Amino acid sequence: MSLFSFVSIGNADVNFAGKTVTWVVPFKEGGGTSRFARFIQPFLKKYLPGNPDVQIMHIPGGGAIKGSNYFEKNAKADGTFIFGCSTSVIVNVATGNPLVKYNLSEYRPVVLLPQNTHWFTRSDLAEPHDLSKIKERKLVLYALKTPASADLFHIWIYEKLGIKGAKPIPGLSSSGGYQAFLRGEIHLSSHGAANYVKKVKPEIEKGKVVDLMTLGIIGADGSVSRNPLAPNAPTFPEMYEKVNGKKLEGDDLEAYYAIGAAWSQASKAMMLPAGASDEIVKAYRDAAIKMTNDPEFKAKAVKALGPFPLIIGEEAGEIIKKAAVFSDTTKKQLNAALKKHKFTYRVQ
Amino acid sequence: MEQLLAALFQLFEPTHLAFLFAGTLLGLIVGILPGMGGTSGLALVLPFVFTMEPSHALAMMIGVLAPTTTSDTFPAVLMGVPGTAGSQATVMDGFPLSKKGMAARALSAAFSASLLGGIFGALILSISIYYAIPIIMAFGFGEQFLLVVLALLMVGALTGDNLFKGIASCFLGLIIGSIGTAPITGDPRYTFNTLYLLEGVPLVVVGLGLFAIPEIVGLLDAKGSIAKSLNTKKGWFTGLKDVVKNWFLVLRCSTLGCLVGALPGLGGTVVDWIAYSHLKQTTKDTSQFGKGDIRGVIAPESANNAKEGGALIPTLIFGIPGSGNKVLLLGGFVLIGIEPGLDMVTTNLDLTYLMIWSLAIANILGAGICMGFSSQISKFTLVPYYILAPVMVSLIFFATFNINRDWYDFIGLLSFGIIGITFKNFGWSRPALLIGFFLSSKVELLSYQTQAVYGLSFLSRPVSIILIILCLATIVLLTKQKFDSNYRSDLIQGKLTQIYYIVILLCLPLSMIWFTSSLDYRANLFPISLSIIALSLLVFILIVKIADLKNLSFLNNTFMKFARSNIFEISGNFNNQLFYYLSFIGFLLMNFIFGFPIAAALFINMFILFHNRKAYVSSICISAVLMVILWSLSSLLTLQFPNGLIGLFIDLPWWLGGQLN
Repeated sequence: MSLFSFVSIGNADVNFAGKTVTWVVPFKEGGGTSRFARFIQPFLKKYLPGNPDVQIMHIPGGGAIKGSNYFEKNAKADGTFIFGCSTSVIVNVATGNPLVKYNLSEYRPVVLLPQNTHWFTRSDLAEPHDLSKIKERKLVLYALKTPASADLFHIWIYEKLGIKGAKPIPGLSSSGGYQAFLRGEIHLSSHGAANYVKKVKPEIEKGKVVDLMTLGIIGADGSVSRNPLAPNAPTFPEMYEKVNGKKLEGDDLEAYYAIGAAWSQASKAMMLPAGASDEIVKAYRDAAIKMTNDPEFKAKAVKALGPFPLIIGEEAGEIIKKAAVFSDTTKKQLNAALKKHKFTYRVQ
Repeated sequence: MEQLLAALFQLFEPTHLAFLFAGTLLGLIVGILPGMGGTSGLALVLPFVFTMEPSHALAMMIGVLAPTTTSDTFPAVLMGVPGTAGSQATVMDGFPLSKKGMAARALSAAFSASLLGGIFGALILSISIYYAIPIIMAFGFGEQFLLVVLALLMVGALTGDNLFKGIASCFLGLIIGSIGTAPITGDPRYTFNTLYLLEGVPLVVVGLGLFAIPEIVGLLDAKGSIAKSLNTKKGWFTGLKDVVKNWFLVLRCSTLGCLVGALPGLGGTVVDWIAYSHLKQTTKDTSQFGKGDIRGVIAPESANNAKEGGALIPTLIFGIPGSGNKVLLLGGFVLIGIEPGLDMVTTNLDLTYLMIWSLAIANILGAGICMGFSSQISKFTLVPYYILAPVMVSLIFFATFNINRDWYDFIGLLSFGIIGITFKNFGWSRPALLIGFFLSSKVELLSYQTQAVYGLSFLSRPVSIILIILCLATIVLLTKQKFDSNYRSDLIQGKLTQIYYIVILLCLPLSMIWFTSSLDYRANLFPISLSIIALSLLVFILIVKIADLKNLSFLNNTFMKFARSNIFEISGNFNNQLFYYLSFIGFLLMNFIFGFPIAAALFINMFILFHNRKAYVSSICISAVLMVILWSLSSLLTLQFPNGLIGLFIDLPWWLGGQLN
């Protein structure tokens, strides 16, 4: 991967021998961020200078705000504290939640783990990769956990694709939503890569479900490529162009990049607190690069973390900034979509 | 089939077996302690399971649940006190048998009947899993909404001593459950701008407060433990023979137990009575019942263990708990990231099988331990409660702190503790409150989802109609049996206190309406509708109570007689219980000042010495042993002790409550 631009050089100044690194995860045990942390934990101990113990501390609650605020308040910048970030942590900042006390865009990211979203529908409602029949329907129901989460992006996506009948059903988790979808109660559904492979692929093979599109994988230069898990499915920019007859650009493109950064590129992240010195950041990044070259990591990573390569280096910081600070035009776009669906919630 | 065997092999890995075994031991112990049952036992382990792997956690949780209805036979037979609600009927013939010197026969018959019932339940559960997919697919939002609402009403109707008080308890639970972020709009409801209430009080805190604290206080008040030790070692074989001879009865009662267990709401409290009355109806010679007929032990014991398998069916496939302990099991699922529903019979099928095997093996282990070590275990019933109580309270505090490491949880614990104590004393339903609390957000969301997809047309779907008929029939049948002519409130003192108590209860719905009325209608429709229903129920109960107190004449018709049955209820000495409750607040203050380790050691010693000045040797030993256990637990699981005020001035080591790291 061209992403690993750092050459690892041992750093004499940073040494964690005899220390304990506390990895604060603002979610409960068993969730995606916890699994991500647990998978990386042994490699971190192996490759950080001095082989410190790494303990994971789960502080769930408040939609990840409680643990994130705890980290902001208690983390030391000497490399003994790291943070397990995820899309929801970023969305809390990006949407201006007043309870947020953490300054995420100043944090120093070490590793980002990208994800990707797949959209699909029942085979009796549409042809594969084609929205035209869906757009004709008067009522297109889809699941939406709460507008104060990354699910908010669904509203914007359906709006931009001109699905006029789209109506969210609130309070459905992605798993509950998928069940309702299989029962025929809702029409459009989406899943992240892991569940797509596990739950949706078998239904596609049976002919019950058809792919519509994926969010697309955003490269460092802003180019968007197709998702290797569904290589025939168009990406959102392709679908946008097909539906609207013009390229995705201007404000819409800017919003797409912001949404893509938060939702896809920085789906999971490991970060050092603001104020961590460049030496410490470098020691962590070096350890992460060594980790990706570890044969054990290579053997297990795809199964545990998914098919998308980790993002390590300066680029990660840019992505986090893009994801955590939405421009005024992007906020305006999201709020317009919220208002149209009569949500009282607004992005601040 | 492959997965079924794979799950069995997985369970036989040493770590799994160890967790299952630890869970089973804890389950046996909470089963023996009168009043404590699976709900308190699970609430104690839940704060620790979320550091474990899901399969370990499941083995442990099922281990706690399964054997409580096996070991609860000890106090039922030896002391005439049911160890859990599920063994009330066992007392009827078990205690007379023990008075006749046939305790060993009764126990061995009970354990082997429990064992067979438990395995039968696991079998039925594994068969029904095969047929679950079409059932899940047939239950859309509308059917699920009905199922949840009907389950709630049934719990309310059947777990309280009075129908109306039971249903009102449900609605109060629903109202408390609606505190926090409104799911549709994200508005904060009844949170007073605190982050703590925004999330809602943690389920474990509610469970421990509602169940564990009132039982501890109640038993301290009753000053129990007048058990006779097991005086004979003979008769074990006779008991086994009794079960073999009555194999058909075991089979019938296990089937009954499974069926009743699968119906939400009936679960724990009535299944033993249903089995007992089935036995009476199907036997010709009923002269020995109540005087020591061994069949009177076999019937309820096989039924109450079989019900666990049945009760797991709605729990796993719909996420609808039938009893208090299933609420906590579902809470455990959330902690380890398992969602009930379709996944349990498809992608997570391995975990479902693991639970089924755990259930079967925990039943075998539990019955085996009870039989093999019966004389040692029966001594547990001899331990005075003033020794057990402070240890239990320390454990509860330790568990509570480790949910979120949040001091507010102690306030939550003690608040729900006093709610639990008053509910228990004044005859309101704690299971209904807990289940209402747990299902509240589900009811709210399902009502919106049903409305969005179906409107009102869901009521005319065939499954819905079947559900409504089934539920009404059950309620009518069972309330008739349950509330027939048992008006007994003439003897009760302190009726005025209970009338004032309703006035306090009225404050909850009233203030809920007050604080949410200014919100968007999608945020306040649910809590306000609930509050109005609760208000009407409470006012009705208040009127019946006042009329009963003044003996007004309009009570003399059939309906009002029904409404009046057990409208007043008191168990134990409320003031005594309040006194013990206050000592727990004292313990909290000690924690706040000294930190947990010092406070716990002080509390245990003070509490035991207060009751028995000569017991200083045991009090010191007990506190020392407890601390060693907690120290090893916390270093194993990287837990932390509550840090006291003195920790701010003196740098304490971690084992005295200082910061980890």
